[in-house]
Amino acid sequence: MAKPQTIVREFKVENKYGIHARPAALLVKAAGKFTADILIGKKGAEVSAKSIMGLLTIDGHQGAVLCVQTTGEDAEEAMAEIADLFENNFFEE
Amino acid sequence: MSITLKKLLESGAKSLALELVWGEMNLERVIEEKAINRPGLALSGFFQYFAQRRLQVFGLAELTFLKSLDSTQREQCLRGIFEKNIPAIVISRNRNPLPELRALAEEYGVPLFRTAMITSHFINECTLLIEELTAPCGRVQGTMLEIMGIGVLLQGRAGIGKSETALSLIERGYSLVADDITEVVRNSRGRVTAYANELTQYHMEIRGVGIVHVPSLFGVGSIRRECQLDLVIELHPYESDAEENRTGMIPETIDVLDISFPFYSLPVSSGRNMANIVEAAALNYKLKTLGHDAAKELDEKVIGTFLRKTES
Repeated sequence: MAKPQTIVREFKVENKYGIHARPAALLVKAAGKFTADILIGKKGAEVSAKSIMGLLTIDGHQGAVLCVQTTGEDAEEAMAEIADLFENNFFEE
Repeated sequence: MSITLKKLLESGAKSLALELVWGEMNLERVIEEKAINRPGLALSGFFQYFAQRRLQVFGLAELTFLKSLDSTQREQCLRGIFEKNIPAIVISRNRNPLPELRALAEEYGVPLFRTAMITSHFINECTLLIEELTAPCGRVQGTMLEIMGIGVLLQGRAGIGKSETALSLIERGYSLVADDITEVVRNSRGRVTAYANELTQYHMEIRGVGIVHVPSLFGVGSIRRECQLDLVIELHPYESDAEENRTGMIPETIDVLDISFPFYSLPVSSGRNMANIVEAAALNYKLKTLGHDAAKELDEKVIGTFLRKTES
């Protein structure tokens, strides 16, 4: 297993409806696969990416810049999976 | 924490009947000291201890005093105050600013406000508003419930069963304040109030079911808009070697917004009904606040019995 580490990256929300219920569910599903702690949100107001209710409060509208932080042994893999969702606009418009 | 005039105007337009007379371009100025001052003594020329960093309020007394002076004296009196770099001036009772006051405000770039309220009401309300706007606040991960008047924050890692435990407690008639994400704000007396994010309030996520609207399922009695935080309970997976609190006599605490709260760490394992245990913890806390500490009382009884035996 890799050493525990923290990775921080910023993403811009590109899809029209932002982080609504469906993208939030995708994020929770992705985050749940990892043991790493995953925080997401505007700087200073991050919430756990493993909480749907949390993700709906981060004000992730189109154009919002969100900070993602993964901490743990599988931080790198977790970040790759989260990045994949953002880069594919959560598979919607 | 300080507050800009812009924020005060936005929040106080309605509740304080506050309107801007002059100085739109200088609304980014900051009220450095979160209080209000009536500059009576300063107007009379006494500037020692003049609270220049506060919002200055001109009431009937100040305005009547100024009117009793001739124009040159009035200008001189007021200039003394403006030279102290005050943040802004509020005139109460919807009085019109005297021409000298207005001219000096423009000269020094000090915004001028007006309110329909009488001075004493304005001072009370404005102090409360400033307090509210500058109160330390934050967001904590956890589900907030109100159990018999006790505000309980339920924490624990994802999937441990916070929402499920909350659901059982709601079914027993207790109220949900916030699911999973709880906003907190600390007032000047050190009490912490918890409430839900406005967008998601009264909703809850139950694994396997999805998002539900709590009052639609359980009635309006099942929710509360906000409540005071009293204790924090963490659910954690049962580990046989973990140190558990077996007597409840060594109180643990946790800080929320720099205030210390009683903290219980409850192991989750099969066969343990977490709703029962959380309820018992809340009620036991309530009992303690009423002066009954069951663990301590039992211990005293045990010690008393032993002492009698050794003495005899």
